[in-house]
Amino acid sequence: MKISGFSTLTTLLVLAAGLFFSAPFAALLHSFVSADALLKLFERQVLLVIATSLLTASLATGLAAVVGTVLGYHFTIRKRGGGRWLKTFFSLPLVLPPSAAGYMLLLAFGRYGLLGAPLYQAFSLQIMFSTAALVIAQFFVITPLMMQAASSAFQQVPQSLVQASHSLGADEWTTFFKVLLPLSRPVLVAGVITAFARAIGEFGATMMVAGRLKTIPIMIYTKAMGGDAGVADGLSLLLVLLSFCVLLLVNLLGDRGR
Amino acid sequence: MTLILDKVSLDIDHHPILEEISFKQPLGQSLVVLGNSGAGKSKLLEVVAGLRRHQRGKISHAGRDLGPLSPQERRIGFVFQDYALFPHMTAAANILFGLQARRAPASEQGKWLKAVAAELKIDHLLQRFPGELSGGQQQRVALARCLVLRPEVLLLDEPLSALDAASRERLALLMKKIQQKYRVTMLYVTHDHNEARYMGDQVLVLDQGKVVQMGEPEEIFARPVSRFVAHFTATRNILPGRIRERCHDGLARLEFAGGELMAGSFPVSGDEVWVCLRPEHLSLAAGSEAKSRCSAETFSAERPWVNFISGYRIAQIIPQSGGTVLLELINRGERLLVFASNRRLEEQGLCLNVEVELKVGAQHVHCLLRQPDDIYCRPEQAVRISRNA
Repeated sequence: MKISGFSTLTTLLVLAAGLFFSAPFAALLHSFVSADALLKLFERQVLLVIATSLLTASLATGLAAVVGTVLGYHFTIRKRGGGRWLKTFFSLPLVLPPSAAGYMLLLAFGRYGLLGAPLYQAFSLQIMFSTAALVIAQFFVITPLMMQAASSAFQQVPQSLVQASHSLGADEWTTFFKVLLPLSRPVLVAGVITAFARAIGEFGATMMVAGRLKTIPIMIYTKAMGGDAGVADGLSLLLVLLSFCVLLLVNLLGDRGR
Repeated sequence: MTLILDKVSLDIDHHPILEEISFKQPLGQSLVVLGNSGAGKSKLLEVVAGLRRHQRGKISHAGRDLGPLSPQERRIGFVFQDYALFPHMTAAANILFGLQARRAPASEQGKWLKAVAAELKIDHLLQRFPGELSGGQQQRVALARCLVLRPEVLLLDEPLSALDAASRERLALLMKKIQQKYRVTMLYVTHDHNEARYMGDQVLVLDQGKVVQMGEPEEIFARPVSRFVAHFTATRNILPGRIRERCHDGLARLEFAGGELMAGSFPVSGDEVWVCLRPEHLSLAAGSEAKSRCSAETFSAERPWVNFISGYRIAQIIPQSGGTVLLELINRGERLLVFASNRRLEEQGLCLNVEVELKVGAQHVHCLLRQPDDIYCRPEQAVRISRNA
C-alpha cells in the first residue's frame, strides 16, 4: 500500500505533538522522584493548603451548581427576552484573563470597593483576603462553566416532554425536579465535576484576592519561585492526577448520557 | 360543554402561523384537523392546550374563557406525536404522573391506574420503561396517561403517524371506541385523509394557517371547495371541463374529454371548471352498459344520472391491498385513475393498452370554478402551485 505524503506529514506532526505534550509530564515525574516529594505532601503546612483548596472549591462548586443550573434553565427553557445578551454577559468570566477577573473582584468587594465599602462601614466586614474571597473568586470563574453545562443539558431534553408535563397538570417546580433534572443528570454531574476541577486549579483570580492565604496553585507558584521543588512537584502531581480522574469521569458520564 | 374557537390568531416572530381560526366543537364529537406539514396543525393544538399563547381571538370551553388559564388549569389531555413519555419512568409512573401532579388521593390513584390499564390492555406493560415498549404500546401508554385524568377535551397530534399499518388500524379502532365511550371532545391532527375520514365527525382542512374548508367528512370528500382540498382529500382525477348548460333538475351538462358529462355539483356562475372525479366513484362498465363515447343518460326517474366515459386505454396496472388494483388510464394525454377489483379485470380480460368504458353517477361529479390563470397540471403538481400562489 502506498503511503501518501499527507499521511506521513500528519503522522510526524502527531509524534511531535506527543513529544511536546509528554515532556512536561515526564519532567514532573522525574523531578517528583528525585526530590522525594511524596513525604513533603504530608507536611502540616501543605496539608492545610490542600484542605483550604478542597474546602473553598467545594463551597464554590456547590454555589455554582445551584446558580449555574438556574441560569441555564432561565436561558434555555424559559427563553426570556434579551436572553442572548444576558447569557453572553454571564459567560464573560469564561474568557476574561483570570488576573483581570481578580482585579475586578477587588474593585467590587475590596475594603474601599463598590460593595465592599458599605459592607465594611455597616458591619466591619472585610471580604477580601479571607477564605470567603477565595470562594467568591472561584465561584465567579466557574459559574459560567456550570451555566453552559446546564444549558446544553436542558437543550437535550425534548421540548415535548416539558410540554407533556405541563399539559398533565405539573407546575414548573414539579416539571423541573421530576422531568428536567433527572433527564439532565449525567450532563449536570459532568458539569459539576469539571467546575470543581476548574475551581481547585484556579490561580489568577484567587491570587489577586487571597492575601496571605494559599491554595494549591498559589503554593505551587510560590514554592517553585522560592526554589522548594519538592512541594511544588508533589502538589503539581496531585493536580495532574485529579485532572486525569475528572476527565475520565466526565467521559464515562458522557457515555452513560448517550 | 362546547369548545369554541373564535377568530384565534397566532404569530411567531411576527410571522402569522394561524389566522382567524374559528369553530365550535360540541361535547363528545371529534374534529379532525387535516393539512400539510407546516400548515399550523400542531400549533393549533398547542394553542388550545395553552402551551402557546395566541395573540388574538378567544378560546372557550363550557362557557369558560381558557385564554387566561395555564395548561395545568385547562383539563385538556394532549397526546404528542412522539408520545412524549418520560423515559426515566416506568409506564405506571408515566400514567400516574398527572394524578400525582394534581395531588389526587393516593388511595384513588391505584384504582384509576388499574381501570385505565385494563381498558387499554396494557396491564402487563406497567413496570416497563418506554424504551422497552413498541410504538403501538407507547401510544397506548400515552393515551392512558391522558385518559386517567378524565379530560374534557383530548388533543391528538398525528398519533398514528409513526406506526406500522397493522398497529395503525388497531389503534384507530381503539381510539374511536374510547372517544365514544368517554364522550370526550377530540381534536385529532393528521395529514392522512383516510384517518380523517374514519376518525372525524367533522373535518377541518388547514392550509398555511387558514381554514380552507370545514364540514362533515363525506361533504368535504365529495365536494371540496378548492383544488388544494380536492387534492388533499385524494380526489386524484382533476381535469378541465366546461359547463354547457345548468339544468332545472339540479344538474349541469358539461363538455368533458371531447364528450358530455352530467355533474351533480357545480359553481353557480362561471363556465370554465375543474371536474373532480374520485377514483373509487369511477367503475368499469360492462360491455353492454356502455352506450356511446362520453354520453350520459338516466335509467329512470328514481335513479340518478349515470355517465358513461370511453376512449381511455389502460396505461398502468398498480396492485393495491385487498384484491384491488389502481388503473391508470390515458386518453389523448389526459390521465384518469380508477380502482377496480382483480376479479373484474379477469372477467373482462382487461390488460395494458385495452380500451375501457367507465361509468360514474352524476352525483359523484363535482366541479370547481377554474380561474383564467389556472394551469392544468397533474394532481400531485397542483398542491405546489396552489401553495405558491
